[in-house]
Amino acid sequence: MQRVLITPKWMRKAVPRFFQYLILIIASILIFVPIVILMFGSVKTTGQMYSRPYDIPNPPQWDNIINILTTPAFWGMMKNSLIVMISTTTGTVIICAMVAFVLARLEFRGKNFIFNLFTLGLMFPINVAILPVYFVLRQITQMGIPLINTLIGVILVQIAFQLSGNILILKGFFTAVPTELQDAAYIDGCNNFDFFWRIMLPLVKPSLAAVAALVMIVSWNDLLVPLIVLNSNTLWTLPLGTMQFQGQYGQDLALISAFVMLSSIPTIVFYFFAEKQIVAGLTAGAVKG
Amino acid sequence: MASVRFNHVFKKFGDFTALNNLDITVEDKEFLVLVGPSGCGKTTALRCLAGLEDVTEGDIFIGENRVNDTPPKDRDIAMVFQSYALYPHMTVFDNMAFGLKLRGVKKEEINRRVNEAAGILGLEQLLKRRPRELSGGQRQRVAVGRAIVREPKVFLFDEPLSNLDAKLRVQTRAQISKLHQSLQTTFIYVTHDQTEAMTMASRIAVMNKGVLQQLDTPQALYDRPDNLFVAGFIGSPAMNFFDAKIRKADKEAFVEMNGFSMKIPANKAEKYMAYDGKPVIFGIRPEDIHNPEFLPSNINAAEVEAKVDIIELMGNEINLNLVSGTHNYVARVDPRTRFTIGEKVKLVFNMDNMHIFDPSLDSENPVAVR
Repeated sequence: MQRVLITPKWMRKAVPRFFQYLILIIASILIFVPIVILMFGSVKTTGQMYSRPYDIPNPPQWDNIINILTTPAFWGMMKNSLIVMISTTTGTVIICAMVAFVLARLEFRGKNFIFNLFTLGLMFPINVAILPVYFVLRQITQMGIPLINTLIGVILVQIAFQLSGNILILKGFFTAVPTELQDAAYIDGCNNFDFFWRIMLPLVKPSLAAVAALVMIVSWNDLLVPLIVLNSNTLWTLPLGTMQFQGQYGQDLALISAFVMLSSIPTIVFYFFAEKQIVAGLTAGAVKG
Repeated sequence: MASVRFNHVFKKFGDFTALNNLDITVEDKEFLVLVGPSGCGKTTALRCLAGLEDVTEGDIFIGENRVNDTPPKDRDIAMVFQSYALYPHMTVFDNMAFGLKLRGVKKEEINRRVNEAAGILGLEQLLKRRPRELSGGQRQRVAVGRAIVREPKVFLFDEPLSNLDAKLRVQTRAQISKLHQSLQTTFIYVTHDQTEAMTMASRIAVMNKGVLQQLDTPQALYDRPDNLFVAGFIGSPAMNFFDAKIRKADKEAFVEMNGFSMKIPANKAEKYMAYDGKPVIFGIRPEDIHNPEFLPSNINAAEVEAKVDIIELMGNEINLNLVSGTHNYVARVDPRTRFTIGEKVKLVFNMDNMHIFDPSLDSENPVAVR
């Protein structure tokens, strides 16, 4: 007689659940351990950090943080980073939204060619293109429009490299808005811009927020573009500052940890507030009528 | 208020011809229904009129104005869509007011018109809600309200009842008819549902494969279809068709089908004499086939024997699927009829309402012989 094995119901649910949690816990540990070491390290002495990196700082050493916060250079870099991040994000979102709208909703000759050009941009990582970009910036600077060693140079290059991916993301959202809404809007009296501004933008707001968040994080953490474009240390952004700081205080790990920690706070705070919008924006499939 | 004219309009999408020489004049204040199966071009015709599609050839007039090159917003039309197409991020009030705001209408006037339309449609309590907080029927009324407030010359409806349940559809149908009476404006309404077309229209344009088949009043379409397509499309259950031959005998004429023959009434015989010996298609509506026990008076009756295949009890009537010879057909008989499945019964065709179609000119869509 054949023996039939019946797995209990709780087991059928519990086993996959166990593996889900196991993977999540491993991933969380991999992400959080360096952050925790960094956080603890920023309020320890370098000696403590080397000898007992995982211990909770007791008592916390606030000197590192106070040292950095009282350095004018740190605040200068913070200001530069904020200027670059806000400008890059604003520029990218405005341009991407307009381009994505045109590519998603308007019919004209050569549309697919233009779209393909944008998607082609995805194939060239910034590391590959940075040298030609530098030459272009230098040429434009020689023509009298200063882009080398200016924040605007950094902003323009960052925007350019953010376009491809984000246009692709936003085009999907613009396409998902039902065609009948467009028809209704045109009959109601909209022209293309009215339709974009009054109907489309409010409908894709969560996706715009998501794109904005992604651009902010990339811009904030960008090292390569500022490194190539900026010479003067008064214009440096925080990642450049971190690199320079590491060079200067290579042995003082605790001080470097404090610097990195303080540099990361704005993006962590931003993500904390915008997390819901980001997730909603990236997972929204269609606009409900 | 205005008349609408499609003047030999063609619309092509690549090699596909969606509208083929459409020539329709809709009178001022008329309620015209465009009806036909999916893909017949009715929605394309409406979209061309709305300016959402360009015509390939021909002209469209609203009133005296040729509107081929006029953008949708300047055609003075309003349209109600199948999916309602309400703006999800706006309240009911804003949805209705949107078109007026874009046209720079004063705030007081907007308030007056929106409140008036809301009153007509029973939307007063819903003005602050968003579309996702409304039921299907409520959304449909908002879509109609959005059209009303614009006070357009022509109202366009693109299958506006398709997403409603059966009961609500009947109610809304009546509401739209009433609205037409009170607004006294030209209505053009697209549907694939012939019941909607028959109940609401002043005239119906039946379309198939981009071609206008017939344009007439609902009663005329039912009584005197121009061709086999219209005859089969209008009426439910659909008209029965039989391959037949006309046979002349002295001054009398007969329709002969495989297995049975019927005398054509004297008043009709003369016009069919010319078809003696020729193949034709004989058409009779299910409601013109009767149980002899409950025969209406004063009809030219022709008896036929049939075997009952299926019985469908509808309450107010009975639909019988019948077999006579090689022919399968449907009869809609008196609800007091007591037949059983498999029973051989005698039925009566009302030959006063028979139809003959001539396949010699167009074998795909034979033309009615009048």
